[in-house]
Amino acid sequence: MTGAGRAAPWQKRGDMVLRVIAAIPLGYAVASLWAVALARMLPGARSEATVAATLLAFAICAAAAMWSFAARSGWRAFWSLCVAGAVPAAIGWASISMTGRL
Amino acid sequence: MNKGFRQSQAFLHTWSGLLLGWVLFLVFVAGTIAFYREGLNRWMRPELARVEQPMAVLAGAQRFLEHKASGAKSWFITMPSAAAPGAQVFWVPKPKPGEPPRRRSRRDHQALIGASGEPVVARETRGGDFFYRFHFDLHYMPVLWARWIVGFATMMMLVAILSGIVTHKKIFKDFFTLRRGKGQRSWLDGHNATAVLGLPFHLMITYTGLVTLMAMLMPWAVVANYADSSKLTDTLFPEPHETRPTDRPAPLVDLTAIARDAERRLGAPIGYIEVTNPGDAAARVVVSQNPGSMLSTRTPRLAYDGTSGRVVWQSPAPGAAAVTAGAMIGLHAGRFADAGLRAIYFLCGIAGTVMVASGLVLWTVKRREKLPDPARPHFGFRLVERLNVAVIGGFPLGIACMLWANRLLPVQMQGRAEWEIHCLFLAWAGAALLALLRRPRQVWAALFGATGALLAVLPFYNLMATSHGLPATIGRDGMLAGIDLTILLLGCGYLAIAVRVARHKPAVRRTRPNRAARVAEAALEPAE
Repeated sequence: MTGAGRAAPWQKRGDMVLRVIAAIPLGYAVASLWAVALARMLPGARSEATVAATLLAFAICAAAAMWSFAARSGWRAFWSLCVAGAVPAAIGWASISMTGRL
Repeated sequence: MNKGFRQSQAFLHTWSGLLLGWVLFLVFVAGTIAFYREGLNRWMRPELARVEQPMAVLAGAQRFLEHKASGAKSWFITMPSAAAPGAQVFWVPKPKPGEPPRRRSRRDHQALIGASGEPVVARETRGGDFFYRFHFDLHYMPVLWARWIVGFATMMMLVAILSGIVTHKKIFKDFFTLRRGKGQRSWLDGHNATAVLGLPFHLMITYTGLVTLMAMLMPWAVVANYADSSKLTDTLFPEPHETRPTDRPAPLVDLTAIARDAERRLGAPIGYIEVTNPGDAAARVVVSQNPGSMLSTRTPRLAYDGTSGRVVWQSPAPGAAAVTAGAMIGLHAGRFADAGLRAIYFLCGIAGTVMVASGLVLWTVKRREKLPDPARPHFGFRLVERLNVAVIGGFPLGIACMLWANRLLPVQMQGRAEWEIHCLFLAWAGAALLALLRRPRQVWAALFGATGALLAVLPFYNLMATSHGLPATIGRDGMLAGIDLTILLLGCGYLAIAVRVARHKPAVRRTRPNRAARVAEAALEPAE
């Protein structure tokens, strides 16, 4: 909201659409990818890491939604969440392709 | 905290709260009532006597099943206690060779063993279980859709709570502030008080609510680690080895002896008993600890040989993360809570309900004065205002009607249990229609008044028409007495609110005389 202070109405609306997309589908995707990465990276038994990662993912989901509206602009929210999802995606992909699944 | 961040979160709080607020209201109301699910299960079957000797009831359940379902594949028995209407039993018949396993209705294969140890017939009702299921399955729609809707609303709730905390400048000062009769300020104070007062509860119940649905909402950690997710299920919910029937008949051990032994070994009351291959030499009895006796829902279990009564297996201790998840689900359901803690759960649930309701009303109160023409609000405003009336005023009325239907529908009626629930939705639909057609202020007063009257009279009806009226239960059956008293109190509360709403005259601001005329005009469509 703060980024679109003196912008035209359609720009404001576009900014809001970007934030909503960032908050809901992207936020969920980022949380899911972190769940994948954490499930692969956390120490201990696989079942334990799986459950712990799932428990933590909801906090990430909420944080992503809050960040989407706190970011200076909709675009910034959008691409920063893309980066925040790319990191765990890479970790998860590398880990699964190296050691496989149960 | 910088100003921009707080403003952005205030915006997020408003809209995430509004859009799913109505669903959250329903979920909060049903969930709050569901803390008394077991109590309502008994309250809604007033013809049943209270269980005094659980072991005698269990022996009766075994006698009944040996007579009725001796060749079954398995039996399930919920351990009777003073808190339950009796021992609920159901059995799975052996699949006949050459016949595909049919999914017969469970109703043909279940019974309720009452306090006398004999099967009893009570009025057909879903009891408190309805509120428990409605809390996450809603009604009249596929369960999976309902759970996604509720899950999404819960996530919005978490976001609304967290952004609500950020929005607050003076969270502790606001907690002690309640300015009465000051219009918008009072609504805000009421919203803040119920929100901050119950904040630890609201955060806990929201996050743990997500955890109860985690297998559906967030399956990706499982997908990342398991190509075959049943391997995880086997680890998290271990089962003893399955035994095959030998076709050599052998008498089943006395289940009460097993129950006593299990209670001694576990050091806690037991909850469920499952018997596989009853009457066969390979019979097996699995007993699990009562979920009300511990925080985590991952209750320990023991398996016994069904002919010798020896312990053959015990569930391994779950890992730290599994216990954490189990404890979170346990915290959410509150099965472990004793009478005092349960009352606190209930009060916190009411605080949450009021928080959601006052937040929804606040949205309209805040915007009413800024409307270009308060006498003719725009469509979005009217929609929110009327949906508020329909949901906040209508749903409790529906519940009151359902409780009356539980008392008044003929006991022999076909599909009686389902009709109790139809009554809830019919009354609610009527209330919603009224909310669309008439002025909000009239409808608020009418709905609150009707809800209050229905609830307040109900305990008196119980007194006259059942043997479980108030003087008979006080001191002897605290749960039933407590439910009647709570209904009476809620009824009086609703009546008081109805009177206040009907008498309410919106304040005219004297400090801004130029607006006074407009505000006075708005009095025709007054603040709730």
